[in-house]
Amino acid sequence: MKILAFDTSNKPLTVAVVDDGNVLAALESTEKKTHSVTLLPDIQKALKESELSIDDIDLIAVAKGPGSYTGVRIAVTVAKTLAFTLKKNLVGVSSLKVLAADGDENKILVPLMDARNDNAFAGVYQYSNNQLTNLIEDHHTSMSKLLELLEKYDSKDLEFINATDHLTDLIQEKYPEVKILNTKDSLPKADKLAKLSENEPVVSDIDSFVPTYLRLTQAEHDWYQKGHKKYGNISYVEEV
Amino acid sequence: MEKDTLILSFESSCDETSVAVIKNGKEILSNIIATQIKSHQRFGGVVPEVASRHHVEEVTHCIDLALNEAEVTYDDLDAVAVTYGPGLVGSLLIGIMAAKTVAFAHNLPLIKSNHLAGHIYSANLVADLKYPFMALLVSGGHTEIVLVRAPGEFETLGDTRDDAVGEAYDKIGRVLGINYPAGKQVDEMAAKGKDIFDFPRAMVQEDNLDFSFSGLKSSFINRVHHADQIHEELNKDDLAASFQGAVLDILSNKVFRALKQHPVKQLVVAGGVAANQGLRQCLKDDIEKRNLDMDLIFPPLRLCGDNAAMIGAIAQIQYDKKDFADLTVNADPSLDF
Repeated sequence: MKILAFDTSNKPLTVAVVDDGNVLAALESTEKKTHSVTLLPDIQKALKESELSIDDIDLIAVAKGPGSYTGVRIAVTVAKTLAFTLKKNLVGVSSLKVLAADGDENKILVPLMDARNDNAFAGVYQYSNNQLTNLIEDHHTSMSKLLELLEKYDSKDLEFINATDHLTDLIQEKYPEVKILNTKDSLPKADKLAKLSENEPVVSDIDSFVPTYLRLTQAEHDWYQKGHKKYGNISYVEEV
Repeated sequence: MEKDTLILSFESSCDETSVAVIKNGKEILSNIIATQIKSHQRFGGVVPEVASRHHVEEVTHCIDLALNEAEVTYDDLDAVAVTYGPGLVGSLLIGIMAAKTVAFAHNLPLIKSNHLAGHIYSANLVADLKYPFMALLVSGGHTEIVLVRAPGEFETLGDTRDDAVGEAYDKIGRVLGINYPAGKQVDEMAAKGKDIFDFPRAMVQEDNLDFSFSGLKSSFINRVHHADQIHEELNKDDLAASFQGAVLDILSNKVFRALKQHPVKQLVVAGGVAANQGLRQCLKDDIEKRNLDMDLIFPPLRLCGDNAAMIGAIAQIQYDKKDFADLTVNADPSLDF
């Protein structure tokens, strides 16, 4: 099975083509570029390196979030449009899981995305039998709550992944010795994403496939705070 | 006979996701519009992050509907076109990424189109344009007088120095207790009221072609607040009529100033505010009063708001000029002519 995989959920951009486990092409860029500009040319480049055309691809795998809202939307829009327009299978994989995939196989892995104001998107993963399993679901959390949640593990077993300098400081206040990979040492790899996608369900309704933001917009949050309720099946978007 | 050109076009610059199939830049085979108005009404105006999220929800479904309604397949298409600015960057990006992906997947030429040019060329879907012509572009984001010298050649003669006219409607609408978008309801109230409050007509004495609406807006708001303070009851229809009266005087004054400097045979009025009945009547009357031999072209209401059909119309001009883009196209939120 030929998989085209890509992840733009944060600053790095990664694209890979994998055929039955063989990596035919893997592009990674950490330079500060604009994903909206480079994603499609990079997909073209990866296909060319693989000596394949887009029609040869069987499955599109995309990192579906959490992450930068705009970043995740760029990859998800390209992925769902490709799958829709070429009638390909589509699989979405957690962007945090993709980060965890590169972690130490003997550790309890805590991939992070800095969500500012001492908050993060985080999940907890562990390798068992060569498979990455989820111990605590991805969620948006304050760092203090996350660190409290992790108290049940021995800190010697933990590995934090993709911590910004600020998150590193917050973690080290509590666990001075814990293993932390900073953002430069935790690049998402699309070939790993492709591998993960083989164990995830194929998206059944491509039209309704959207990023996993894990957070309401501020405007919606405030609106619900005021006691508003979404009632019934009211559709906020309508065709006219 | 020349071969027909079919363009699949995308528009997502603000709060409408739209995909259309346009034949030869003239004929609408489909024009699917998914509007988010109900969502943003919760917040009293467009929230960019909410808009971006809705676009992702809608985009493939809109492509599907557009192709089905037009009864065409990808093999029938000659190009893919998309709005790349101006607009909200997060919103623009969804249409851009989807359009680039379709162009890439089906090996079709890509055309990046200017949203403002699209609005003006919505007229091409209902009339034969004769160059040069004048365009008054009035919407929630723009107020411009544009001279179109030749196909796809634009010269901005006048622009707003502060608020766009549609934006002014929304702001005074809020004071009258009308939710966004307020234009239609203010227009209806204005038809029932009388212009008695004598709001200022900014810059009408000045010899340039620029607009200003913030003074009018402030004057309106101050008048209402003053009345509230002294418990004076003002007739809302009269307030609406007085506001709209000032707006129409300003627009008309500047447009006819422009037409005097550049006599043309056609005046196109486009953009969301072109749906305003008061504006339609006022310009029609003014042309008659001045005895001008000039066609007044208002696109039908469905083509006044944001839609992809208009992008297909301007994209045809670019297609004919072989003005193609590559897959590196990015959003340009503050694009102008």
